[in-house]
Amino acid sequence: MRVILAEDSTLLREGLVRLLVEEGHDVVAAVGDGDALVHAVAAHQPDVVVTDVRMPPTNTDEGLHAALEIRRRWPAVGVLVLSQYVEKRYAVELLTGQSDGVGYLLKDRVVRVDEFLDALRRVGSGGAAFDPEVVRRLLSRTTRDVGTLTPRERDVLAAMAEGCTNATIAARLHVSQSAVEKHVYNVFEKLGLSGVDGYSRRVLAVLRYLGS
Amino acid sequence: MRRVVGLLLGFFGVLVELPALGFSDRVVAWFARLERRRLLVFLGVDSAEPLERQARRFLAVRALVGLLGGVVVAWLFYGLYWAAVIAWRLGTGELDLSNAAELGWTALAGVVLLFVEVQGILGVVALERRVAHRFLGVSERELLRQRIEQLAASRAGVVEAVDAERRRIERDLHDGVQQRLVALGMLLGRARRNPAKADELLRQAHDESARVLEDLREVAWRVYPAALDSLGLGEALTAVADRSAVPVRIDVRLAGEVAAPVETAAYFVVCEAVTNAAKHSGASGVAVVVRRDEGVVWVRVEDDGRGGADPDGVGLAGLARRVAALDGRFAVESPVGGPTVVEAELPCG
Repeated sequence: MRVILAEDSTLLREGLVRLLVEEGHDVVAAVGDGDALVHAVAAHQPDVVVTDVRMPPTNTDEGLHAALEIRRRWPAVGVLVLSQYVEKRYAVELLTGQSDGVGYLLKDRVVRVDEFLDALRRVGSGGAAFDPEVVRRLLSRTTRDVGTLTPRERDVLAAMAEGCTNATIAARLHVSQSAVEKHVYNVFEKLGLSGVDGYSRRVLAVLRYLGS
Repeated sequence: MRRVVGLLLGFFGVLVELPALGFSDRVVAWFARLERRRLLVFLGVDSAEPLERQARRFLAVRALVGLLGGVVVAWLFYGLYWAAVIAWRLGTGELDLSNAAELGWTALAGVVLLFVEVQGILGVVALERRVAHRFLGVSERELLRQRIEQLAASRAGVVEAVDAERRRIERDLHDGVQQRLVALGMLLGRARRNPAKADELLRQAHDESARVLEDLREVAWRVYPAALDSLGLGEALTAVADRSAVPVRIDVRLAGEVAAPVETAAYFVVCEAVTNAAKHSGASGVAVVVRRDEGVVWVRVEDDGRGGADPDGVGLAGLARRVAALDGRFAVESPVGGPTVVEAELPCG
């Protein structure tokens, strides 16, 4: 995949570039701030962008602003945001509007190279990838409708929010795929999404939980 | 209105007090106490209870202010008298509105004079306050009020300084240690995926782990230098000099015990000033002097750089707050072109 990296720490940026190149990805640009990222995307039209949230000049959330701008202007480009801390607002902002080809991971997760590469692949091919920690925090803070779901259905929804397919969920929860499908159906039913056409019901279900 | 009455009483007081100056100390002191009451009740000036030795000079100097007050008040009454006369003449038809221009000018002049008059009254009150505070001293209550104001400000400053410090520590941890740890983890992750390259990657990871530890030690040192507790200010400052990019000459002479908070504040003043000098001033050398004399620890850091340091910048403002919290005095002198001198005086009992 053609990848653009935005990370202000040179050390980490170099490490990520090496990792991605080793895995056969094509890193077309590696930059250190939000503006440079947007310019690089305009010039190279990559498959996916990996960006840190906190970058110069203000060291607050310029990475997120760049990510939102990229999603607005080039919807085909996948955006994977790496964040120092879990911020509910960031996740919700990323998911607002169209909701495929997007991911939000804790930065530390890069250390689990396999999971990071997997998340990158999913986001690059139009899927979603949300950090288990992000999902846990989001779900624990949202009380609306939670009461009506069984614990198992919540597990399934949490896995969906991470961007897992039914097969992955089945493997993770040690149940059959048809059982997962049943749970997913129940989740849609309870959240009033059964009759919705033309949208990804999985994403809508997650969004409903996020309270956005 | 109350002030006008106060000034009027002050004026008539002079007529009695000036002759009274010829009498005994006790009589003079009695009048001085009366004056103090007048100042407090009518003008809101809170001064100390007059001592007998202060009373005579106070009354003598105050007499001049009292006379001035009398003149100002007399001027006010004169103005009011004429305003009344004009109003009366308008009412009885003696003056009519045919010469409106002249009336308008008179009214305008009256307003201007009224403004000047108000300023005059305020000026005399300020003068009374200064004379009273100069010759009688500030009252205990006034001193307490000033002290409370000072304490509230320095306490708020301490809270701000703590927050600024925490922000700095968070940034240190985030930008240094955590990035290195993630990079280290990534190297190990890559080694596991690439058995062929594993040896080389593990070697890099090993080097990286040493650098993480180095970073961590640096951050911990910046948070609080442990040497300060175990080896004292002199040693801790020597370590600052060793770490500095520009040569630092340290000259510390402290006789006897110095309270820990004072030592810590002195340490951070030097540390921050030296860091600033190395980072921003382009200095080729820094001189640090720490001395103790007569109940204060005195710190002076001078560099030979190009000056222009901003005393309201995060670092220096933080130092000012830290020093203020210990009732100390803090000053930064940094003209464009240099040199920069940072000075602090810390009371140490």
